[in-house]
Amino acid sequence: MHQEAAILEIIRIARSLFLQNRSRMAALLSTKTLDCKDLHGYLKTLSSYTLDRLYNHPATCLAVFRELPQLAKHYIMRLLLIDQPVSQAVIGLWANNKYINDHRRAVQALTDLRIWYEKPLPGGMQGRMVNATFKANMKTALLGGGKPWTGRGGGVLPPDKNSRDVEFLDKYALERWECVLHFMVGSTEGADGVSRDTIEVLKHSGLMKVEEGDPVPYITPAGFQFLLMDTGSQVWYFILQYLDMTDSRGLDLVECLSLMFQLSFSTLGKDYSTEGMSDGQSRFLQHLREFGLVYQRKRKEKRYYPTRLAINLASGLSGIVTDSHRQGYIVVETNYRLYAYTESSLNIALLALFSEMLYRFPNMAVANLTRDSVRAALIRGITAEQIISFLKSHAHSEMVKQTPSLPPTIVDQVRLWELERDRFKFDDGVLYSQFLSQADFEKLRDFAKEQGVLVWDNTNKRVMVVSRAGHDSVKRFWKQQKNS
Amino acid sequence: MGGNKRDKKDKEERRSKKYKSELDLPSYDVDDDSQEVDTKSGIPEAATRQVTETSQEDEFGAKDYRKILELKLDHTSRPLWVAPDGHIFLEAFSPVYKHAHEFLIAISEPVCRPSHIHEYKLTAYSLYAAVSVGLETKDIIEYLRRLCKTSLPIGIEEFIKLCTLSYGKVKLVLKRNKYYVESQHAEVIQKMLKDPVIQECRLRAEMEDSTDGGGDKLIQETFTKPSSILFNRPSQPQSLPVSSSAPNLLSQVPGPSDEAATKSTENGTEAVPSDIFDYYDKLDNDDDEGEDMKTVSFEVRQDRIEDIQKRCIELEYPLLAEYDFRNDTVNPDINIDLKPSAVLRPYQEKSLRKMFGNGRARSGVIVLPCGAGKTLVGVTAACTVRKRCLCLATSGVAVEQWRSQFKMWSTADDSMICRFTSDAKDKPIGCDICISTYSMLAHSTKRSWEAERVMEWMQSQEWGIMVLDEVQTIPAKMFRRVLTIVNAHCKLGLTATLVREDDKIADLNFLIGPKLYEANWMELQNLGYIARVQCAEVWCPMTPEFYREYLTTKQQRKLLLYAMNPNKFQACQFLIRYHERRNDKIIVFSDNVFALKNYAIKLNKPYLYGPTSQGERLQILQNFQHNPKVNTIFVSKVADTSFDLPEANVLIQISAHGGSRRQEAQRLGRILRAKKGAVAEEYNAFFYSLVSQDTMEMQYSLKRQRFLVNQGYSYKVITKLAGMEQEELAYRSKEDQAQLLQKVIGATDQDAEEERLIGDPSAIGRKVGSMSSMSGADDAVYMEFNRKSGANKRLHPLFKKFRK
Repeated sequence: MHQEAAILEIIRIARSLFLQNRSRMAALLSTKTLDCKDLHGYLKTLSSYTLDRLYNHPATCLAVFRELPQLAKHYIMRLLLIDQPVSQAVIGLWANNKYINDHRRAVQALTDLRIWYEKPLPGGMQGRMVNATFKANMKTALLGGGKPWTGRGGGVLPPDKNSRDVEFLDKYALERWECVLHFMVGSTEGADGVSRDTIEVLKHSGLMKVEEGDPVPYITPAGFQFLLMDTGSQVWYFILQYLDMTDSRGLDLVECLSLMFQLSFSTLGKDYSTEGMSDGQSRFLQHLREFGLVYQRKRKEKRYYPTRLAINLASGLSGIVTDSHRQGYIVVETNYRLYAYTESSLNIALLALFSEMLYRFPNMAVANLTRDSVRAALIRGITAEQIISFLKSHAHSEMVKQTPSLPPTIVDQVRLWELERDRFKFDDGVLYSQFLSQADFEKLRDFAKEQGVLVWDNTNKRVMVVSRAGHDSVKRFWKQQKNS
Repeated sequence: MGGNKRDKKDKEERRSKKYKSELDLPSYDVDDDSQEVDTKSGIPEAATRQVTETSQEDEFGAKDYRKILELKLDHTSRPLWVAPDGHIFLEAFSPVYKHAHEFLIAISEPVCRPSHIHEYKLTAYSLYAAVSVGLETKDIIEYLRRLCKTSLPIGIEEFIKLCTLSYGKVKLVLKRNKYYVESQHAEVIQKMLKDPVIQECRLRAEMEDSTDGGGDKLIQETFTKPSSILFNRPSQPQSLPVSSSAPNLLSQVPGPSDEAATKSTENGTEAVPSDIFDYYDKLDNDDDEGEDMKTVSFEVRQDRIEDIQKRCIELEYPLLAEYDFRNDTVNPDINIDLKPSAVLRPYQEKSLRKMFGNGRARSGVIVLPCGAGKTLVGVTAACTVRKRCLCLATSGVAVEQWRSQFKMWSTADDSMICRFTSDAKDKPIGCDICISTYSMLAHSTKRSWEAERVMEWMQSQEWGIMVLDEVQTIPAKMFRRVLTIVNAHCKLGLTATLVREDDKIADLNFLIGPKLYEANWMELQNLGYIARVQCAEVWCPMTPEFYREYLTTKQQRKLLLYAMNPNKFQACQFLIRYHERRNDKIIVFSDNVFALKNYAIKLNKPYLYGPTSQGERLQILQNFQHNPKVNTIFVSKVADTSFDLPEANVLIQISAHGGSRRQEAQRLGRILRAKKGAVAEEYNAFFYSLVSQDTMEMQYSLKRQRFLVNQGYSYKVITKLAGMEQEELAYRSKEDQAQLLQKVIGATDQDAEEERLIGDPSAIGRKVGSMSSMSGADDAVYMEFNRKSGANKRLHPLFKKFRK
């Protein structure tokens, strides 16, 4: 009963809102999703000057090359050793007509990234020429030569007394990274050791916000979405935001990026020397150390180990699952129960974003997925898709045995709960109001109804809405009426 | 029978009252999973106590047990968590699942059993049931401790002790037609005898001469536990067993499944702490060893049985009723056996083992899903006891079905089986197996002369066993009347769902006995004993016209609007066509008679409901079963229970009784019977529930599904039926829809008229124009009863806490 009354009310409100401001209403109902660019998307935003400087290092070139579309890689390979411009017509012939779309995409990508540029041929035809800096450094990357990468400038390091294995590095990296996440969810455990720099990045990226008078920042809807992403995407997004702020920190973006790209070509479990790093790069390294992207025993230590997070970083978001080495822990049952085999309060806090916690055992937590809890999450801006992919990517090994790993009914229901919030249909229309007499109103309404263009009317308030298509004829009719 | 009609009218009046009150409150059947304790006097102390827990809440509002419980080092190989509030979580993928599961079934109530992790709950009642099947306090605690991943909460241990220490110690045994109070613990008997009330009730051999203690000699007995009872064995030992011998043996557990589990550990494939298995074997053998037992007992006066039962409860020693049928020489044996062709399935076997565990018959309830062969369990129990047997069912059709089942599974023939119903009276006097309905026996009004004689005879008899079908559906008042009329040594309740929206299950538990066994639906489904059902909830949007009417109309009429929603009609028509093309047999359920008739007439299908006569019912059902032209029938809620339609494999529900979880389960049961030769497909049965979007139906449907969802079923939500546009369906045009709406709006009066024409004119009084009167004028299945009407008198205090 109440619900129905509420529905009526909502319809009423919606209508009035609808009449007032359609676009605002639409914005209100649709949730903003976190925009997470891939590597290509990010580099596109950089200025041409920065890009050109970036290509000054072979590692960067190789990393960019690696992420290019398949066809674009072929073109580069063909053009790499040619010193004069090649006609566009010729390039156009390299790809079969069937793959014209792929061709266009490749051309677009190469242009966007300033890897090649247009140059007229002597005969007046348009040709293409590979960016000289890129070409030179790409050649170095592929054919060898040049300076050694990643801090091997200081010669060979003596063997490390406290050498670290891969397992340790993985554990360390996640621990550090989770510190940031812990801080975001505001849990008391393990959130210490988050520096001001990190907090600045979080605030800058809009993942957290500071309220007046409250020194502790609180999490935003974007932050909730961020938490549900997989670790790889999180780190990537976070680093992008960090790079955005390099100027204000007095760091050089190109230096940071090239260090980042160099790191992505290093080997997991191998140590590297900090020798030969610029000042800015050393500071950048310290920040990466804080997030768990590199391991350095002491601040002054001359060696560091890149972790998995750093190595996978430059690949952007393309299909690398950083969480694969981690055990899934969530069991989802057909009766909307969630069982989480975890001791981590971070994991629990994440689950609690969209579920109702019931029990905490020493190694397991029980929660219920309810309409209310999921709606609460949706209201915070988390999407159904994010919830589902979170559950999917953290599914317990028992769940993975079955296909699909999540009960389809649960997945459907979560989606339906989201759709439930989005049931308004929008029609463009024109509002007619302020009729002077009831007769006028009725005449016009009846006409509109006859024409089948009446969307809505209210006799008491003498207002009516006519569909946009019908507006002209109704207006004409009204003018005729007034004139006659 | 005049009386019958009178009674019917009576019921209808009550029902209409009930409906009215229900409809005033939209959320009338609120289930309570959390039982409130109301203070009652004369309750054993232990029963009032609940699991006390001292736990904090964490920052998310969850109960935080991390500080209280200590994780064991080898926790990965143990299957359980026990929460201090009595909830138990069991990993279904654990290697010791089988053992833990059987143990938990015995000591606690299953809450939900989906695929990976099951939840159980310890209650005072479930522990009482555990004790009554022979488990002991220390064993329960010790085994629970071993299975648990963490340390066992102290509160739980205390709770188990409280609930079990004094229970199950004393039994009321019927031997050679004399009642004895018997116990293995002499000190308990001594303590009881000090009580003046019990002294009074005691029957002394030389009562008058030795008053002061001289005749107080207790009967000391030593007897060897009867080793085993064999089901499906003719009593003559020379005839050989037909079915494979292993699962049929009562003794020598572990059964095949247990053996397999044990073997896997022997192979060392799973690192399971050996203490779990050691203890399990010990527990399991305990019950069946043929060791000598010393018991102490005294005889009690038969007319004081109730007094002594009541007094014992006050003393916190509730009496368990057992029937030593093999030593009963007074009641003659009847000559029935199971036919050799009757093979019990393992779970049927197991449930019966619980009942006849110590060579005597315990009273209690066995819970099996519909279609899993409850009848066979009942027949086997009757053949095991081999005394005069009374079967009670819910309707005339069910009586017929019981009769044919008796003839199918046992050697009983027509001369032994008699039906006692208003339609068919086979002169039951002197028969061995009598099958009747609850309402037939519970009549309080005048009967025909002939029926009166039968009743007198029945009252004078001592029945060996009383089998009560679909116990959950019967109101306790009627039930109690039946139990006072008929004396039975042992009562076996059969049901599919021990849930009632009014939560009166606890009453039945006391009136019949503890729950002896409850099967796991998903397990039976996976083993192929019941059909694999695809459940679906089809969302039918309300047409704007209907919805406008719905929003403004009175509460009672809303039901009609969402039942008659044209989109729902189309969905129904589409589904019927789709499945008829697949040669499926379809049942369509509607609680609303108006909708039932309209749908059926529009679609030109046969329908049956309350007023349909017995003959016509059987005819329609037979046609449905055997006539290839009749593939769809429309039924009202008369068909909810006990309609055995093995052919049906599609069920469409267009209107239902509010949020009744039980009805949903019962209906699903209509299509659960295992389908032959249809293993290839993933699902071989379909259950569609059509709901009108944005109406009360949505909430109801959520509530209705809860029981089945907890059993592990999942409902697929269908928002759009693929291919519906291409079909030629009714009520497509706005005009047709408007006509239908007019019909619905004008329904009430016209509908009431129809009702009166079909019903017996003499029996019907004018019902004051409410929808309620027509929504279920059939049998008493959903009748509720007045809570205050003396129901508390004989109520076991243990179960008072289960009331709201």
